[in-house]
Amino acid sequence: MKQDYFSANNIKHIDYKDVTILKKFLNPNGKIMSHKRTGVTSKNQRQLALAVKHARFLGLLPFVVK
Amino acid sequence: MSENENKDKKEVSVDETENKEPKVYEIGYLLTPKISEEEMPAIYGNLKELLLSLGGKMISDEMPVIIPLAYTMQKTVQNVRNKYNTAYFGWMKFYMDANIAPDLKKKLDLDANIIRFLILKTVKENTIAAKRFMHKDPLRKKFTAKKTGENEEVAPINKEEIDKEIDAMVAV
Repeated sequence: MKQDYFSANNIKHIDYKDVTILKKFLNPNGKIMSHKRTGVTSKNQRQLALAVKHARFLGLLPFVVK
Repeated sequence: MSENENKDKKEVSVDETENKEPKVYEIGYLLTPKISEEEMPAIYGNLKELLLSLGGKMISDEMPVIIPLAYTMQKTVQNVRNKYNTAYFGWMKFYMDANIAPDLKKKLDLDANIIRFLILKTVKENTIAAKRFMHKDPLRKKFTAKKTGENEEVAPINKEEIDKEIDAMVAV
């Protein structure tokens, strides 16, 4: 069973500015990986998705990688 | 009916007291790359002053740094459509009353230097963790360590010994 990355590293708040961490949860097309694939808890997956979307808005992450 | 009205009033008053407590907000913003490096501190100072003038109290912030954008952004200023591939990205964390926050948004909307901004509710603690965990990657494991181990084993094999073994096998 995969462990939750965020609780394993003691990260309580997922920040949209942490692009290096957020990139780990994107697939090669820039889409957010599924809950099943990331192994992150539901609560953190929701925070993660929100953080990725905020980062995309400010041009830190791409919406699509062609 | 009169009882219901009283209840409503009480609820409203509770909400108002909650609003008066300062909340922690964060703004992330992108400034136009047309600003030169020398002008940067002045514009950054103006943003800070704007916050303080609205009764904000700074917690932490970062100077705007020029970054490449992940995609091209457009913004029309005075009927001219501008396209941006790079921008200065900066952020500030501060306390502010919830009822003043919309005013801050209105003022930032009018600022021609800002391409985009994002106001978020957050916590006063530092939430950035990237620097501590740069080396760890749970989903993509690295295989480089194993490869170097194999190379060390392969190196000491003697060619003459192999030739002898081959000769022996051929002879049989």
